[in-house]
Amino acid sequence: MVLKLYGFPISTCTRTVAATCKELNIPYEFINVDLAGGEHKTAEFTAVHPFGQIPYIDEDGFKLFESRAISRYLAKKYAGNGPKLIPTDPKEEAIFEQGVSIESFNFYPSAIGYAKEKVFKPMFGLTTNEERAAEHLETLNAKLDAYDVLLGKQKYIGGNEYTLADIFHLAYALAVVEAGQGGLFESRPNVARWWEEISNRKAWVDVIEKGV
Amino acid sequence: MVLKIYGFPFSTATRLVVFVCKEKQIPYELITIDLFKGEHKQPAYTKFHPFGQVPYIDDDGFILFESRPIVRYLLKKHASQGTQGLLPTDPQAEARAEQALSIEASSFDPNVSGIVAELYFKPQRGLSTDEANLARLKETLNEKLDAYEVILGKQKFLGGDSITVGDLAHAPYGTLLETVGQGEFFTSRPNVARWWKEVTSRPAWEAVKAECVL
Repeated sequence: MVLKLYGFPISTCTRTVAATCKELNIPYEFINVDLAGGEHKTAEFTAVHPFGQIPYIDEDGFKLFESRAISRYLAKKYAGNGPKLIPTDPKEEAIFEQGVSIESFNFYPSAIGYAKEKVFKPMFGLTTNEERAAEHLETLNAKLDAYDVLLGKQKYIGGNEYTLADIFHLAYALAVVEAGQGGLFESRPNVARWWEEISNRKAWVDVIEKGV
Repeated sequence: MVLKIYGFPFSTATRLVVFVCKEKQIPYELITIDLFKGEHKQPAYTKFHPFGQVPYIDDDGFILFESRPIVRYLLKKHASQGTQGLLPTDPQAEARAEQALSIEASSFDPNVSGIVAELYFKPQRGLSTDEANLARLKETLNEKLDAYEVILGKQKFLGGDSITVGDLAHAPYGTLLETVGQGEFFTSRPNVARWWKEVTSRPAWEAVKAECVL
């Protein structure tokens, strides 16, 4: 039975899993979850995903949620299918994990926080909290200064090879660009070099242009 | 050379690393970085940790920062000693353990750390609590813990029926949440309360609380 990916076409987390699948040539069936109709909050859905979020996968009855956990599981299972998205040498793996953690705690919160205020809230007719948006922007600037130092010493966020640590940045970095702050990446030479490369990976471009 | 942990005794991230060292019987030396004096923002420190945060480790010259990668690295390096099963190797068990770690990182940590910041760290720095933000964070944490209550009614721990590092990762910030008078988040939910007691009554966690003081 082919892997089933339950999500939403423009959801950041769904796109993250789709990008992982495409990098590793993993066939999957995308099943749309009707967010507008509240499908993710129904008893049937929360029986599988108690947090009522997307995405989740169903692999022949084995169900898993949390996009980063899903991506890790698939990257390990299909390790031979494409680029090595999780290193196996202990120290390289540790540096990879460092990169994954950097994304979760030093990028994601302010990136998504800013995008939420400036893009998602207006999309749903809600008012931007400009003070909070400004705080997120200030944090993001400080974090990206550290990114520029890090990316001056190593090619990618998780070491010298492209890994899941970079994939995990894609959808949230795109949200920052869509919120009009692409200059944050472009103005920092090492960050600019890294962003230019990862945002042009074929698998990611396919997700954006052809859909999940 | 013994493992060196550069951190702060009350830092939640530092405490997670010490917790895992104790579970796995890994000897370590905890070197205190003076956060109050801004030592973590000085070039001598940021040379090793570009984000200027605590902790980082020096394992015989191998430098690593971010507490969760540090504990993963230590768990894999010292797999055969101490508490077993904290990071399973069977693919599906590992996936569920990863799911638990991700739940902690995305659903627990941001909300709990936000609540603690509003109730404790901000006042400590002379800033006023943002009541609207605090209310929002509490509401979100309540929703998340309602989901925990469902999960923990079906299995003993967040990743399955055995304890994994994803459960342990809750101890530092969860304990801080109790310290600022918000323990009801745990006590008001029977399954969560049972799980919380199990995680925090572990001898290794008791040892962390006793040892990691100034």
